[in-house]
Amino acid sequence: MTTLTTPAQPGQDTTPRPIPWSKLAWVSWRHYRIALLGAVVFLGVLAVYLLVMGLKIHSAYAATLSCHPANSSACSDVTSLFQNAYYITGEVSAALLLTVPVLVGVFAGAPILARELDTGTSRFAWTQGAGRTRWTLARLALPAVAVTAATAAFSQLFAWFYQPFFASGMDSRLAAQFFNLTGVDFAAWTLAAFAIGAAAGVLIRRAVPAMFASMAVWAGLMLATVLYLRRHYLAPLLGKGTGTASSNSGWVLSQWWTGPNGKPVPWHTLIGLIQGAPKGPTKQVGPNSFQTLVDPFKWLAQHGYTEWTSYQPASRYWPFQFIEGGWLLALSLLLIAVAVWLVRRRAA
Amino acid sequence: MSVLTTPAQPGQGRGLPPLPWRRMAWVTWRQHRLTVADVAAFLGAAALYLLIEGLPIRHAYAAVTACHPASSAVCQNLANNFNTGGYVSQAAIVGALLQVAAALVGAFAGAPVLARELETGTFRYAWTQGFGRRRWAAAKLVLLAIAVTAVAAAFSVMFSWYYQPFLAAGDQTPLGSTVFDLRGVAFAAWTLAAFAIGAVAGVLIRKVVPAMIATMAVWAGLAFATGAYLRQHYETPLVTGNPNVPGSAWVISQWWARGGKPASLPAINQVLRTVGVRASTPGQFHAQGPGLGNVNPVQYLVQHGFTQMTSYQPASRYWPFQFIEGGWLLALSLLLIAATVWLVRRRAA
Repeated sequence: MTTLTTPAQPGQDTTPRPIPWSKLAWVSWRHYRIALLGAVVFLGVLAVYLLVMGLKIHSAYAATLSCHPANSSACSDVTSLFQNAYYITGEVSAALLLTVPVLVGVFAGAPILARELDTGTSRFAWTQGAGRTRWTLARLALPAVAVTAATAAFSQLFAWFYQPFFASGMDSRLAAQFFNLTGVDFAAWTLAAFAIGAAAGVLIRRAVPAMFASMAVWAGLMLATVLYLRRHYLAPLLGKGTGTASSNSGWVLSQWWTGPNGKPVPWHTLIGLIQGAPKGPTKQVGPNSFQTLVDPFKWLAQHGYTEWTSYQPASRYWPFQFIEGGWLLALSLLLIAVAVWLVRRRAA
Repeated sequence: MSVLTTPAQPGQGRGLPPLPWRRMAWVTWRQHRLTVADVAAFLGAAALYLLIEGLPIRHAYAAVTACHPASSAVCQNLANNFNTGGYVSQAAIVGALLQVAAALVGAFAGAPVLARELETGTFRYAWTQGFGRRRWAAAKLVLLAIAVTAVAAAFSVMFSWYYQPFLAAGDQTPLGSTVFDLRGVAFAAWTLAAFAIGAVAGVLIRKVVPAMIATMAVWAGLAFATGAYLRQHYETPLVTGNPNVPGSAWVISQWWARGGKPASLPAINQVLRTVGVRASTPGQFHAQGPGLGNVNPVQYLVQHGFTQMTSYQPASRYWPFQFIEGGWLLALSLLLIAATVWLVRRRAA
């Protein structure tokens, strides 16, 4: 950076102006292009796998849909083959992808400020004509936007990949693991991990402990949300009788039975009652017994026992996504603001 | 460290003896105690989660085993509900998520050990402290490897406790890919391998965060290749024409054969339609409608010249497989740690 000193003309504004944002963005890009490239390559490899596997799954599912007549045993063969071949692969892929937001977010977010403060290069960086606030914001903004955009695109690919299982009713989009991977949630949790990493980086000022602490905090927040918070975004609906939650597209929060007097009945009492119920005939076919039973649920319903289900219907998927995405976005912006404020106050 | 200079006595050795190993152990402990504590905290928190989630599962399974008579319809329903219900899918998710635990431990514990010193340049000071490069690297790596492996072994005991009801029910195989490498000696071996990969990545890449990423990538590739391709060949799979393969066996592939040649599913179902049964896979049969004949579908197929061939690994091979996998992982880890020590002498500075 060169500085020309010339005598000021009268009337000319001579106050030094800060470095423009475009230059700061360029510096940030030069600094983090390899890290961002790494994140894109990582998501790209996973995306290739999802694409290859997803095309197979979609064509197998199309075969089950185009099979006529739909209720014949030949067509249920095809459906069973589809489920047996691909369901476990889909579920295991989904479970492994749950770790992507925290890995991408923390590995991208925590080292940015932590390494600069740890090695002391921040002192040099702050002499380069951009104050601490602008410098921190520029440092964080580009990777945050890039990582959020990349994971948002990736989650759309996953939604496409898993769509046959949702459409055929085998899994519900409100179930915890699929809610986290689709819609806006995946990108929101990645941004939250990034912001937690940035704040931890400024507080702890060492890269590896900051990453560890960020992962721990993110995991705690995720567990708290999935186990306690998410079910209360909107008041759950109460369904009476068996069959309210028989479709797999909603989210069953809890189920319980009440007796003829309206009071709740514990499960072991119900087992005792069912064991006393009349049984149907048993047929023996070779070493396998095909047994027919009196339907225990019908028998209980006939004797005055009612099943209650507290659930969230599938139609609430997008409202929940926006509620969760909204508070995660607010939390991320708050944490980034905290990081900026901490850099101004603490680091020197 | 003080140095006394006295004129050498005749006959006395003139070399300075290096610091004893226990001093180096103390230095390693002081420098990396937070790392060991963090690994223990991470696996401890996971173990606590398994404890909290595992107790209701054991209660449910106790209800299944306590149900009498065991062959009655209600008790079989209860067992079916346990085997196919929410507990099993939750355990499957937990098993899949914990796959990354060994990689994380290796990346966070193994990669920064040498990489941080090389990145910040503090190795130049560390090497002046009376302990040569190789002894310094070897002491750090071996002691930390032992600590990390011990913590991992303790965690795998906890996971075995958590998963035991599903295996006792007989429906799941202990050789399944998400379960096998979290139990027995395999988890400790995989964690040690991740640590060793981290050490070698650290000394090759010499920057902490890229070394961590490289560790996780290499470990993931190795774990995937082992689970998908290598593990089923530790011992030659058994091939049997007996259709009753136990639920605890690891089925690698199944096929029907007639006259020595594999037969397709539609051909099989054509034969079965006459007795009102259909097969959805070579191993699963479903009653079709009320017209149930007194015929065992498998026997019927066998009578018509079909043989069901299954290639599988029996559950009894669990411990031999664990020791085979643990053995080659241990050998690989020792090789990588030795390579790290050698590389420190050759490359750094």
